Amino acid sequence: MAGKKKRTPNLQNDSWVVVAADSVINTKKHDSDPTFVRLRNPATDGASLYLLGSGDTQLYEVKAFEEDFHSWFVGQIVNRDGRLLFVTPMDPLYLILPYLIKSGNEGKFQPVHQVVMDEEFPACSRLLSCTRAQASLHHIAEEKEVGSQKFYRYSQERTMNWLKKKVERIVVALKKKNISVGEGVKSSTYVRAQIKSEDQEDDYLRYAHGLISEYICEDLSKAFLKHLGLPELTSPKETEPPSKKRKLSDKPVEAGEDYTKFNSADFARKPPKKMTAAQKSLAKVDKSGMKTMSSFFSPKVKAEKK
Amino acid sequence: MDLSPFEANNSVSCRLVSQIPDVCRTEDCCLGIDEAGRGPVLGPMVYGICFCPVSKKEELKDSKVADSKTLSEEERENLFQKLDEAKSYVGWALQILSPNTISTSMLQRTKYNLNALSHDTAIDLIQYALDSGVQLKEVFVDTVGPAEKYEQKLSQRFPGIDVTVRPKADSLFPIVSAASICAKVARDRVVKGWNFTEDLGEVDTDYGSGYPNDPKTKAWLLKYLDPVFGYPQFVRFSWSTAQTLMDSKAVTVHWDDDEEAGEKAAQRQNNRSMLSYFSAAVGGGDQSAPHQTHRFFTERKLKSVDAL
Repeated sequence: MAGKKKRTPNLQNDSWVVVAADSVINTKKHDSDPTFVRLRNPATDGASLYLLGSGDTQLYEVKAFEEDFHSWFVGQIVNRDGRLLFVTPMDPLYLILPYLIKSGNEGKFQPVHQVVMDEEFPACSRLLSCTRAQASLHHIAEEKEVGSQKFYRYSQERTMNWLKKKVERIVVALKKKNISVGEGVKSSTYVRAQIKSEDQEDDYLRYAHGLISEYICEDLSKAFLKHLGLPELTSPKETEPPSKKRKLSDKPVEAGEDYTKFNSADFARKPPKKMTAAQKSLAKVDKSGMKTMSSFFSPKVKAEKK
Repeated sequence: MDLSPFEANNSVSCRLVSQIPDVCRTEDCCLGIDEAGRGPVLGPMVYGICFCPVSKKEELKDSKVADSKTLSEEERENLFQKLDEAKSYVGWALQILSPNTISTSMLQRTKYNLNALSHDTAIDLIQYALDSGVQLKEVFVDTVGPAEKYEQKLSQRFPGIDVTVRPKADSLFPIVSAASICAKVARDRVVKGWNFTEDLGEVDTDYGSGYPNDPKTKAWLLKYLDPVFGYPQFVRFSWSTAQTLMDSKAVTVHWDDDEEAGEKAAQRQNNRSMLSYFSAAVGGGDQSAPHQTHRFFTERKLKSVDAL
């Protein structure tokens, strides 16, 4: 019965369950409301949803907790969309970085508003009004000041140092939150005895690198891994043994187990399982005068005698 | 019979008991078990036990207790009155299984069917009598499921007690008839005065017999079907009558133990097709593979959102 149920497509709904700090919706200081904007996701190069606080002073990313079979009861309303949206502060530099890298290939110093431009995502220029954005550009670019104007050029070296600081802070946060980072640990609810911290240092570093790679492009992520001095992990596919059959020895093949014990008398067969209704009714049929199936296959003795 | 403990919270199972007659603690006793309200889609199922000294069996017979189904409601009430008056040697105990208990038992993740629920309730009640010091020697039970199996189960559970399980035991043994009257009277009273915990306003109590094939019951079920919540707790959700109506009239609800089969389910669970193991690996590297989300996010079921 349940198998027949079909999930109807999630229709447009106009309410969501969102977890956000009060400061996100605090519009007292500025006249504009906080707005959701679609911007280029630096890791996927596709569109992702972000939120700009009022006055575009703070950038937030939007993540959704999404699992099958969830719905909300909100007040007197059922919301079919069981997602829980998180609006969390984000460093706008991550989103500005891809544009700087792109223009960095030209090798010129440029005013930043000429760099952060995107036909597909015109809202990206608003990133520059974030309080942290312009002031922290020196973390990822070299600066030149000519008159009152500032010019920037992407610097891989500065970016690496900036990312390294980020990773160090992530490691601190991971330890503080007791997040299990080891390869073997699957469940975060499974509490295991503390392992030697030195062994885990690399695990933490790799985990933090993985987390930061969610916010930078793949090429940068690889370069950064090298910068951290961590070897690239080989994919498990390559380490798999060849699927060829191997001959272990030239000795004749012998049975590994003794099956003759099943031939002894005390090895009783299990009684047959319950018969189906059809089998039962067949069993009740009057079989007197019927030939057995095998009789049809044995030579016809009588016929030959005649 | 004071029903107030059950009426205070009719969403759970509740036990009502009489005083234990003193003779039952000293003399060998017989005990009868019967239930009322097994079939209806509405209201509770009530399990009743009645016990008395073996020596008083004849007196019980003389009081003309009979199968509760052959009696009118009024006759049942009168007979229950008589039983209550005979409290010097007759004791009883009831277990009221609320419709909510039945629904949640039968529909929980590890299914607990009505027969198992019935058997366990019967066992609990016998145990209650033993714990109260009743000197049980004989137990008579109206069967649920195959009689021999049930009898074996009870005999094993209570060694030393002579257990007799019979279909139609309520018309064969007066002590079972007495139990059946207690159960039936309790069920009638509970159903009549059902306290709806839901805010339904003025509830139409004309729901007929409560049996699935009663047109009045069906009409009532249709009337009180809420598209989101289904029914009030008065209805046994596990009954196919209720389920079919909800399937056709109410909003579809998906649970994660819904049985899904076939390719779609496999796809949803990210299972690899068996065939993929036999075909040559496509391409060589994972270079073209899309961005893989870090396990910090996948373990927490967190995803980026691209639109609201």
